[in-house]
Amino acid sequence: MAVTGGTETPAPAPEPSTPADDAELRERFERDVLPLLPNLYAAALRMTRNPTDAEDLVQDTYLRAFRGFSGFKEGTNLKAWLYRILTNSFINTYRKKQRQPQTVEGPDDVDEWYLFDKLGGRNVELSAETEVLDKIPDEAVKGALESLPENFRLPVLLADVEGFSYKEIAEIMDTPIGTVMSRLHRGRKALQKALWDTAKERGLVDDR
Amino acid sequence: MIDKPGCMEALKEVERLLDGELEAELRIKVEKHLSGCSPCMDRAEFRRHLKVMISEKCTGDAPPPALLIRVRAIIEERDVSSP
Repeated sequence: MAVTGGTETPAPAPEPSTPADDAELRERFERDVLPLLPNLYAAALRMTRNPTDAEDLVQDTYLRAFRGFSGFKEGTNLKAWLYRILTNSFINTYRKKQRQPQTVEGPDDVDEWYLFDKLGGRNVELSAETEVLDKIPDEAVKGALESLPENFRLPVLLADVEGFSYKEIAEIMDTPIGTVMSRLHRGRKALQKALWDTAKERGLVDDR
Repeated sequence: MIDKPGCMEALKEVERLLDGELEAELRIKVEKHLSGCSPCMDRAEFRRHLKVMISEKCTGDAPPPALLIRVRAIIEERDVSSP
């Protein structure tokens, strides 16, 4: 579904809103948007990589979403609409504070089967490889994702954690779909390398 | 080993298959290969497991109660300065 409704300049309402409209809108916002707070907070943490900035980003997102909510068309993709506001707010406000270079190539020496091949991948039961994945602590997986440069981290976050389609991610990030696919592919390779490194550091695997 | 005819063709589509982004005709072709080729199926299953693991382990950060209060204040338009 299309992400409709401007995030910065919501379309003017056709008629002046009445207190009854406002109450209905507020009720709908509370019912549909407020429950997404845990998702948005987790995503904001992965974006900003620190709790204080994540809280400010989420608050800013809710403020913009609430002000623009009358321009949101009911029945269209609410979650994508909200993540577009979140992503825009992050890019416009918080990214300036991040010191990481924004355009980074993926690891050249890593293919998309890096982790599978590193974890064995030969004449071993598949369960041995997936067991290693399951042993990596949550904090280490979050850390691995957060270690990716932003242009890879956002598509991986939106696709693998939030479950958005390529088309939705393209709309959320205002990026051509081909760029989304290529960044996602390279981001996942970089993430596999980061996961391998963290598993190795934690002694969960033998290096070879 | 990954040397049967069709292995490379199938494996390069696994990412889009798991993302639910393969058009039906290609999806059927790739799934058919995977079901008849256990090395490729293992690779695809591993990638599926990896994707699920990332999703499960990168969520579940509980928002601080103070944040919920700040967000509720927005909805109730309390203590929120105008732009």
